[in-house]
Amino acid sequence: MTRIVEANNTSSKKNPRRRRFIKASTIFVIVMLSYSVLHFLVMWVGVNFNSILLSFKSYNRNGTYSWLSGPNFFENFQLIFEGIKLDVDFRRSMLTSSLAYFIVSCFVTLPIALIFSYFIFKKILANGFFKVIFFLPSIIPLIILTTIYTITVGNNGPVGQLLDLMGIQSANLFVTPKSTEIMTWIFCVWAGIGYDVILLTAGMSRIPRDILESCKMDGVPSFKEFIRIVIPLTWSTITTLFVFGMMSVFTVFLQPFYLGANQKEMWTIGTHIFFESKSNRALNAPAALGLFYSLIGAPIIVGTRSLLNKFFGEVSY
Amino acid sequence: MNKKNFILPIAVLSGLLSLVGCGDGEVVRTNNEIYVTVYDGGYGTAWIDQVAKDYEAKTGIRVNWNADQSILERMSSELDSPQSDIYMSHDITWQEYAELGQLEQLDDLYNSQVEGTGKTFKQRLCAGAEEVSRLENGHYYKVCYTQGAGGLVYNIDMFRKYNWSVPTTYDELKTLCQTIVDSKIKTEDLGLVVPIAWSGKDREYYWDYIVFEWWAQLGGMDAINKYKAFLGDDGKYSTGYQVYNPATNHKEFKQAYEKWHELIAMNPSFSESSAQSQLLVNANTLFASGQAAMIPYAQWAKYEIQHNSGIEFDFDIAMMKTPKISATAQDYNYNVGFGDSMIIPANIPETSKKLAKDFLRYLAGEEACKTFVDKARGAFLAFDYSSINLGNLLNDTYIASVYNKLTTCTNFNLVSMNPVAYINSSAIMPWIGNTYYYTKAFADPTNTDYQATAVCDAIYATATNGWSTWMKKAHISD
Repeated sequence: MTRIVEANNTSSKKNPRRRRFIKASTIFVIVMLSYSVLHFLVMWVGVNFNSILLSFKSYNRNGTYSWLSGPNFFENFQLIFEGIKLDVDFRRSMLTSSLAYFIVSCFVTLPIALIFSYFIFKKILANGFFKVIFFLPSIIPLIILTTIYTITVGNNGPVGQLLDLMGIQSANLFVTPKSTEIMTWIFCVWAGIGYDVILLTAGMSRIPRDILESCKMDGVPSFKEFIRIVIPLTWSTITTLFVFGMMSVFTVFLQPFYLGANQKEMWTIGTHIFFESKSNRALNAPAALGLFYSLIGAPIIVGTRSLLNKFFGEVSY
Repeated sequence: MNKKNFILPIAVLSGLLSLVGCGDGEVVRTNNEIYVTVYDGGYGTAWIDQVAKDYEAKTGIRVNWNADQSILERMSSELDSPQSDIYMSHDITWQEYAELGQLEQLDDLYNSQVEGTGKTFKQRLCAGAEEVSRLENGHYYKVCYTQGAGGLVYNIDMFRKYNWSVPTTYDELKTLCQTIVDSKIKTEDLGLVVPIAWSGKDREYYWDYIVFEWWAQLGGMDAINKYKAFLGDDGKYSTGYQVYNPATNHKEFKQAYEKWHELIAMNPSFSESSAQSQLLVNANTLFASGQAAMIPYAQWAKYEIQHNSGIEFDFDIAMMKTPKISATAQDYNYNVGFGDSMIIPANIPETSKKLAKDFLRYLAGEEACKTFVDKARGAFLAFDYSSINLGNLLNDTYIASVYNKLTTCTNFNLVSMNPVAYINSSAIMPWIGNTYYYTKAFADPTNTDYQATAVCDAIYATATNGWSTWMKKAHISD
């Protein structure tokens, strides 16, 4: 043993160029990672930490913030409760609008994506093409995507003209809150499927071939294979996507903003915080609002994840 | 090159390159030039180009101008390290910037003499502009950019051809719209001429220019001033929301919207059939190509419609005085542009401040005022034009109509100097919370949610509920 260590030491002593090279590559890794790490520390840790601090501060008209103290320490949170008490209708509609995206993401987009992913996984005709088509909306900036969507589906667009022929007035689709909200849900399904499909097909591609071949030999029908084999073996990916879907209650804000403009009835929690911070120099109220909803949302999401993980046993392959 | 020598420089270079985009180049100012940023919008840039040339010819000071559509979004950071010596735009929240010490105080400019006019800068301002440029501390921090006139712009040639009279009352306007619909006039592409083109998609607020004037006609200046004060019936800040009470203070606003609803929402044939989803450019094209007789607009109509649609008018246009809501009503003009501002940042060298003030002073002179009207095609700077000979410019029917509106109507604006209002300017406005109803009402006219009673009740409820929060944000108490 001692001899081996000595041999290693001797070899490193004998090859100073290699040691220096390792040093250089370490520096390379540090330099390349430093930007990402710094970015994470400033733009995520720093921003969120500052946001927590802001919710316990008040804004002064000379542009500074000062700490709240004594009985006023929770003033920003008191304002939230006052707001809820005073404007029940708005808060209720905001909550309903936000929760709707949970339904859309988890119970509409995800099942559809699951089915499409299975088709792609089963290598249907032109599956590669469909993969690209599904993923395309995920890499196009949202503002372009919403513009394309409104032009296509709205008045004078090809889909819009078709809808007119069917007696649905396309000119009204993005005008009244109810129709705009439905159009936004449809948009979210369309634009959200690709992301789910990519992750699910990646998860499915890891399923060992011999399991599937065994199914084939036993004459298991595709539907049964999908339910009994594919879903349990990709459950961890499905759980992750479900949790992402739950988080859309808080993260969806630009879709209603771009598609519904100033229709307050469509505002989600995210849109509300966005407008609050956009229209005010004082960022303490939106910061408190964000913290308040995080405190409610985080345990629910974590709890749901634990619950979902219990559905199927841990599978490793 | 061996690997070691290659990897390190690349790594360092990558790190540095990622930081390259972090800052703009600093402006290196000299003593014989100034930098001006104007909002790139409905006034175009021909005016600033011409004024800059004239000013340089007169003074030898070069004006480097820049037109920018995104200036508002980064105004706050711009003022921290200004790239320009003057900023001109709508919606600059100048009171906040002034309170933060980001703006140069302009008292010396206001009290200085404007060459060739025999008047001080303050005296050169049009009526009402001075009061809305001064903070509670009595100091000036902005200059109103334009005066503004809004209303219905119409196709003069079409009116002449079909013998339509310019309506002077609400009832006449309604009759005219019906006449146009009944006439079934076909355009070149066999579509029917519609009475009014408007954009429900991105400029529904252009209807404000008419509705606000009806509001003023119904309530007079008392109603407008009461609204602008944002003080309750007891004169206190804390009850300021009462200005939105539809049963008392906001009664006339409600009536004005009701009249709009009756005219436009309940008569879909008066507008292009899909006005609710039309973009401004589509509405502009309809009007510019003679497919619509009228369009609600403000003073920048002539430049913007032609610029947006890409069609040069082959007919004359004019802005009509807003048809009177009742026979006894007075003519009012809403100064759309009083919210526009020209400001000088505090954080620029003293020499640049001096030059910037001199340029603003030059704008108050006859030559620049005329050039603006000419090149902006009918928009007027916020200076007094009564002593300026506009000469041939008044042969332009549109310029003449705007001038007529500005000089023969009672002008009013909705700029409030109450801190609760200007600190919460994105929420506190006639359409509280920046929520408009024109488009929704047009798309769904029978829906009671978009009719005057429900709309004004909702406005009042929002104001009542939000007022204490808005007061806290403004750090105001009774």
